[in-house]
Amino acid sequence: MIETARNGNGKDVTETPYDGPMISIVGLHKKFGDFDALKGIDLDVNPSEVVVVVGPSGSGKSTMLRCINGLEQATRGQVFIEGIDITHRATDINEMRQKVGMVFQSFNLFPHLTAIGNVTLAPIKVKGMDQEEADAHGREILEKVGLGDKADAFPAHLSGGQQQRVAIARALAMDPDVMLFDEVTSALDPELVKEVLDTMKGLAREGMTMVVVTHEMGFAKEVGDRLIFMDEGLVVEDGEPAEVFNNPQHPRTQEFFSKILSHL
Amino acid sequence: MGILGLTALPVAGGILAIVFARLAKDRIIHSDQEGDGLATAGQTLGVISLVLIGLAAVVFFMQDNLKEFYEDFFNWETMRFWFPKLAKAFLTTLKLAVVSEFFILIFGLILALMRISRLRTFRFAAAVYIDVIRGLPLILQIFIIYFGLSYLGLNFSRFTAGVVSLTVCYAAYEAEIFRAGIESIHKGQMEAARSLGMTYLQSMRYIVLPQAVRRVIPPLSNEFVMLTKDTALVAFIGMSEVFQVGKEAMGRDANVTPLMGVAFFFLLVTIPAMRVVQYLEKRMGRGD
Ligand SMILES: Nc1ncnc2c1ncn2[C@@H]1O[C@H](COP(=O)(O)OP(=O)(O)O)[C@@H](O)[C@H]1O
Ligand SMILES: [Mg+2]
Repeated sequence: MIETARNGNGKDVTETPYDGPMISIVGLHKKFGDFDALKGIDLDVNPSEVVVVVGPSGSGKSTMLRCINGLEQATRGQVFIEGIDITHRATDINEMRQKVGMVFQSFNLFPHLTAIGNVTLAPIKVKGMDQEEADAHGREILEKVGLGDKADAFPAHLSGGQQQRVAIARALAMDPDVMLFDEVTSALDPELVKEVLDTMKGLAREGMTMVVVTHEMGFAKEVGDRLIFMDEGLVVEDGEPAEVFNNPQHPRTQEFFSKILSHL
Repeated sequence: MGILGLTALPVAGGILAIVFARLAKDRIIHSDQEGDGLATAGQTLGVISLVLIGLAAVVFFMQDNLKEFYEDFFNWETMRFWFPKLAKAFLTTLKLAVVSEFFILIFGLILALMRISRLRTFRFAAAVYIDVIRGLPLILQIFIIYFGLSYLGLNFSRFTAGVVSLTVCYAAYEAEIFRAGIESIHKGQMEAARSLGMTYLQSMRYIVLPQAVRRVIPPLSNEFVMLTKDTALVAFIGMSEVFQVGKEAMGRDANVTPLMGVAFFFLLVTIPAMRVVQYLEKRMGRGD
């Protein structure tokens, strides 16, 4: 790792091609008041890897994702994106967030903007793209998530599955290097889950680096390169999805899987 | 006494009409809309006749007083003379309200943003300002600002002083409305915007404020109605707005009619404005 890169000066990185992990989390702690939400996470995510994160509610999955793009500030430890420490004070967090797309459980689409408006706003305001270019680019991406014909619809007139795909398109429009998904199908009616998962599978096939918090075990086994089990703010298990799923080592993991199995 | 006895008869008639209509209503089967309508008409007519009888009695007993009242409050000659002058002064009033509102919106929004800032100094300063201003009567603020400004060697016109004091005061109230509006926008909106790389201010400007402003249009319009009325207080620093002119006219002619003219002008603006606010609130309530 180059020193200038660590200082958060993004431009210098290109001089020596970076070939380390896409995301590197080192000793990450997060406290909310007296409560330890994360108690020392260490995790590397390599380029094009799809890491699926599972764990009981309240185990810190969302908090970890939010620390990866700086929505939550680490109490201790570091998070590197392409070698740049985003927890460093000198790092321009807004610039780093352009590399990290995030999709939320509750969509969080901008209700006052159309689908295409949602998708083009950040490229225009953040990247300085001109309207026409952003529009063409945005329509292409909406096409890709299967919503070419919904570009001019407002979020309120779209189904949950369509809204979530617009949210994915919105994140993709910034051409991120990593995508974070936080239980993006949990708020959807069962019949709408598939269209969103299919979109994500497509992304994975194209080689997008992804960290996916989900309870969709089918997705984990089919698309995941790794499955991580979190419990009480720690990564308890980390391995090949089928392996972790069929042969969990930790008692908490066994308990968790038996619970969701009986639930299915 | 004879008169009283004479009025007792129609009064009793009116009351009986209301009572009978009420009884009829109770006996009508629900689906009989026509019968129900007739009963309602009977009740209404009963009430109207009671009111008319009352008025007739008042006119009869207070003939002389009424005439005086009418001369004092609705004197046609006085009204004809002052109306154009009041109209002109009311334009000043409106100008005062509109110009003030312009600055109030800007200053109020800045205060609201300071109030929710992550910087403690901003938060504290805005909170103190808002509390102090909201804790004082407007009339006191107007005096303090007017005399304060001249002490500072700032010789503002009365109009400017009026705008400054109304802005200082109303911005504190509208800041709280803006703040409530901003805080009513789900925090996921700000997070989604930030996660795309937008700065805090960009996210505010393009995502949060457009939604918040839509939500606070009804309460802000309501504030504007109150502001329009409160411009009258600027009369106390000698500003020639409509109340001041009306007051002077009243003194000159020893007649209340000019003040009725002033009231007319205020209602001309405030009643339609209140209707608009109500319409907006209803539309917001429907959720579009
Ligand atoms: N902003 C916050 N303030 C206080 N506690 C929080 C906050 N965010 C999360 N937590 C707590 O941290 C723990 C982990 O939360 P979270 O990361 O959302 O879990 P998960 O996504 O695995 O369900 C929970 O106990 C939650 O209550
Ligand atoms: Mg969560």
